This record gives sequence, C-alpha cells and structure tokens, in this order.
Amino acid sequence: MINIKILFFGKLKDTWKTSKLNYQTSSKTTEDLYQELLTKAIGEPHKDSIKVAINDEFVNWSSPLNNGDTVAFLPPASGG
Amino acid sequence: MKLFNLSENKINDKQLKELVLDPNSGGFVCFEGWVRNNNQGKDVTKLAYEAYNKLAIKEGNVIISEAMDKFTIKKAICTHRIGLLEIGDMAVWVGVSAPHRDAAFKACRFILDEVKSRVPIYKNESWTDGESGWVEQE
Repeated sequence: MINIKILFFGKLKDTWKTSKLNYQTSSKTTEDLYQELLTKAIGEPHKDSIKVAINDEFVNWSSPLNNGDTVAFLPPASGG
Repeated sequence: MKLFNLSENKINDKQLKELVLDPNSGGFVCFEGWVRNNNQGKDVTKLAYEAYNKLAIKEGNVIISEAMDKFTIKKAICTHRIGLLEIGDMAVWVGVSAPHRDAAFKACRFILDEVKSRVPIYKNESWTDGESGWVEQE
C-alpha cells in the first residue's frame, strides 16, 4: 500500500464531495486509481475528458504511482 | 519574470502593455476577456475562477513559448484572474507585439485559445435564481 494525496478540481470536486483527499491505495497506475475511485463516487465522469497530473506535471493513464505522490484529476478547463 | 501569470487582484492592463511594447515592433494586439452578465441562457450575477495554480502557471508559460516559436513576434504576455469576479471585471488579458500585424493577431488568438483549452482554470458561475455551478467550455 502507498499513501498519496489526491486533488480534485472543478466539477470533480462536486462528484467526490471534496477538493483534497489523503488516500491509501494498492493501485499501481493512474488508471487503476481512477477505476478504484469510481467505485466510491456518485456519478461517473467521462474519463476521455479528464486529464491527470502527478506532482504538478501532466501524465498519462498508465503512469505509475509512488508513495507520497500528489495526484490531480482535472476536468476540461473553463478559463477565459 | 514569468510571461503567463495568475492574479488574485484586478488585472493592471496598463502595466502589462508597457511590458509588451517593443521598439522593434510595429504592431501591438491585445485581447481582454470580461465577465458578462449572461451565459448559456442564464443571467449571471458573479463568478469565481479557481486554478491548479502550479500546473496552470507551468502550462500557460509553455503556451507562450509555443507562440514565440510558431509566430514572428517579439513579446507576449498573458494574465488570468482567479478568485471572485463581478460583472465587467477583466478575466483575462493577452498582449502581443510583433514587427507586423498578421503575426501579432494570429499569436494573440493562438495564446487565448490554448489557454482556454489547456490551462487548468475552472469557472463557477452564480446565477440570478440563487443557484451556482461549474461551467463547461462552449
């Protein structure tokens, strides 16, 4: 098991009812983690439109997770 | 100095313009995005922008670098507001100076479009019916 911090932004904060979560997981990748979180969330955001970042860098859905990582799930931007 | 920034305070567009003007440039193009009182059929009273600050600043500066590579321009700067904004407040400012107008117009449009689609900034609108919600990009 590893300990990570998860950040949610925009409408994903509403889906997961929080903006920040200290989380323990056995998930190995960002994809595994996302699937694990889906089992706990109300509603199912479309993954195609979501970007994922680790430690302030965009990564892909097969990126490995390490103990102490901060993982962010980002819906489509709506600035401007 | 970073060329893309987030600001919790009102955007000082005069100061930004001073930073973009360049003696080698014959053209300056600027875009200002303001908060309007309606969106997607709803009457808007105010809005809040929140961002993933570190990643937003990083990605915004990547976009400015891309514009510098892609177009024959001299300087480019963009600032986006975060926090609570009222109707009429400036939400985003993009300024580009270039030797000739065509590159300045194109680069300004490129920066704005890319910032809107790639920089993790999120808009939460409040409406006259008392409700509020996250807004999807049109």
